[in-house]
Amino acid sequence: MTRILVPLEILEGESISAGLTALLEPMNVTVLGYHVLPEQTPPDQARLQYEERATDALEDLAMEFGAGEGTADYRLVFTHNRKQTFDRIAAETASDVYAIPGATGPVERLLVALSGDVAVNRIVSFVAQLVGDREIDVTLFLATDEEDAGRELLETSAQVLSEDGIAVRTELAVDEPPLEALVAAAVDHDAIVMGERAPSLRTLVFGEEAERVATESVGPVLVVRRGEEARDRSASTGGP
Amino acid sequence: MDGDPPPTQGPSAEGTNVEGESPQVEQTVETEEATITDDAELERTLGLTGGLAIGIGTMIGAGIFVFPGLAAGNAGPAASVSFAIGAVVALLVALPASELATAMPKSGGGYYFISRGLGSLAGAVVGLSLWFGLVFASAFYLVGFGYYAVDTLAELGIAVGTELVIPVALLFGAGFIALNVTGTENAAKLQNGVVALLLSILVVFLGYGGLDAVGLLGEPTAPEQFTPAGTLPVFTTAALVFTSYLGFAQVATVAGEMKDPGRNLPLAMVGSVLIVGVLYVVTIFVATSAFGSDQLQRFGETAMVEVGRHYLGSIGAFAIVFGGLLATMSSANASVLSTSRAIYAVSRDALLPQRASRINLRYGTPHVALGLAGGPILVLTATGRVELLAEVASFLHLIMYGLICVALIALRRDEPEWYDPDFRVPGYPVVPALGAISSFALIAFMQPASRYVGGGIMLLTVGWYFYYARDVELKGAL
Repeated sequence: MTRILVPLEILEGESISAGLTALLEPMNVTVLGYHVLPEQTPPDQARLQYEERATDALEDLAMEFGAGEGTADYRLVFTHNRKQTFDRIAAETASDVYAIPGATGPVERLLVALSGDVAVNRIVSFVAQLVGDREIDVTLFLATDEEDAGRELLETSAQVLSEDGIAVRTELAVDEPPLEALVAAAVDHDAIVMGERAPSLRTLVFGEEAERVATESVGPVLVVRRGEEARDRSASTGGP
Repeated sequence: MDGDPPPTQGPSAEGTNVEGESPQVEQTVETEEATITDDAELERTLGLTGGLAIGIGTMIGAGIFVFPGLAAGNAGPAASVSFAIGAVVALLVALPASELATAMPKSGGGYYFISRGLGSLAGAVVGLSLWFGLVFASAFYLVGFGYYAVDTLAELGIAVGTELVIPVALLFGAGFIALNVTGTENAAKLQNGVVALLLSILVVFLGYGGLDAVGLLGEPTAPEQFTPAGTLPVFTTAALVFTSYLGFAQVATVAGEMKDPGRNLPLAMVGSVLIVGVLYVVTIFVATSAFGSDQLQRFGETAMVEVGRHYLGSIGAFAIVFGGLLATMSSANASVLSTSRAIYAVSRDALLPQRASRINLRYGTPHVALGLAGGPILVLTATGRVELLAEVASFLHLIMYGLICVALIALRRDEPEWYDPDFRVPGYPVVPALGAISSFALIAFMQPASRYVGGGIMLLTVGWYFYYARDVELKGAL
């Protein structure tokens, strides 16, 4: 079963909506409680003061995700660098997906974005696993400049999911700005699944795409991480 | 440090202070990327560049931008020898300190090593003296900054007298401290950039000035006697300018946040001393080749601006004024941060009230410790006594440096089980023994006033220990 990392800025009162808890119920979950400190503050100093409070909150959250059945656990990290902590914990727990918790009610409609240079197969098989035999409708979404290739990709992916008995429809956006089109498509959906893109100049300037989508769409976003090979490849060539 | 090392029995700590607080020490597992305690993990986020930036950023402001005029005035062109002596002493200490830092990669640096190696009395004296040593150093950097701020105005055509130096230093000092309490932006990247920019300015300037000085460019300069005042001033000047080498120990105060500490700590500490040492020696050579020592002395704290003007005209003067502002600012800021970490380290061990390390809920910053650093810094800045501030700072640091070497020898003679450094000092026991001797010897060349002030502070810390924390036991299980 795929493990999902749920990072939470625990001491800022960030929490998880009931809808997301229910959506992730069948999966393995690691709740990552983190606290980002300014450089003036040694992490150990913050730990002394906040550890107990944070641990209490995390224990409760992990219980909601099924710590009792052994499908969930938690980590608590004090850090100066959020991204570095996410990457380390994701690698150590072998989490292939991380969640950006947003606000949502029960998840009935899931938007799955396949745009850009993402690992489509990994995303599709994760969605099949996540939805399982639950009554969740899936919309496969693709923004592209090449209409024919895009349509074909959507068809093949949709077929894989319908074979598992999942209700799928597709949505193709041609020659539209991908991010805006995705946010527009998200309007009548409760949660979004998307792939992690290789870091680029764009992400450096505007921030991570998934986070912008999460901010714009308000709901939770599940991000399928790039495989370790892809990570190593872009690391060794110094980026795409 | 590969994989998951088994938890090791670290140095123990017990006992209570007069308020009934005990040292807060937990068993931890150190990996290259994080410190793992029972319930939480502490991410290591500083790389080698960050470590070098702290070391170099702390040191470079004093040695290059404040001291050349004063040092050349005292010792003549042989002031470059004084800086070289300082570099050798610093290296002799940086090597043992590196070994201890890789064995105990914790916040607190020198204080932590000494309290665990030599016990709580030595630890308390060093820990509290380090607080004051950093306070004196920060005040010294701020006064230096004040001189450069006034000179900047002068370069811009706004002539104000030197009577504005102290008010400007106080104003900016208060500003830095307020920013450190309220600022949650990560300034580490900025610090790296500032240091990179400074190094580029210096390499261009010193490269050109050096070629000129050896007579390859421009007019050959009239030779001056190398040691116009004899050899004694070479040593007293070395004691004075040693403040330029205090920064490498600040790297050890962030040891708990350094990635791959076994590799990065020794490289950052030794590397920063080597880099600034070379720059200092070349700077003095270039400065004394441009002007006679008497003239440099008359230029005072901002003599380098005139040296810049001599070689590269008004562009050179501007570059140095700008560099001096940046350098003294980054030195002051880095020392304020180190001071608050030093206070945290002693209060965690119950040598100060533990509320001193409280964190502010709104900003997440250690406001009490920053206040305990900032108040005395501003008081001392107001005195404006550059040489006294510098020497007392050096005095208190040198005591710690000497004791670091002693602590290393004590630990090595009977290695406790938890003692497993990744880096071992070459030339043991000669290097740490020389480090200890030369650190203490340098103190002997200071002005009597500095020794009295420094000695007085140490006596106060001894008194505090016996009053407040006599029952606290910090020495590792040897």
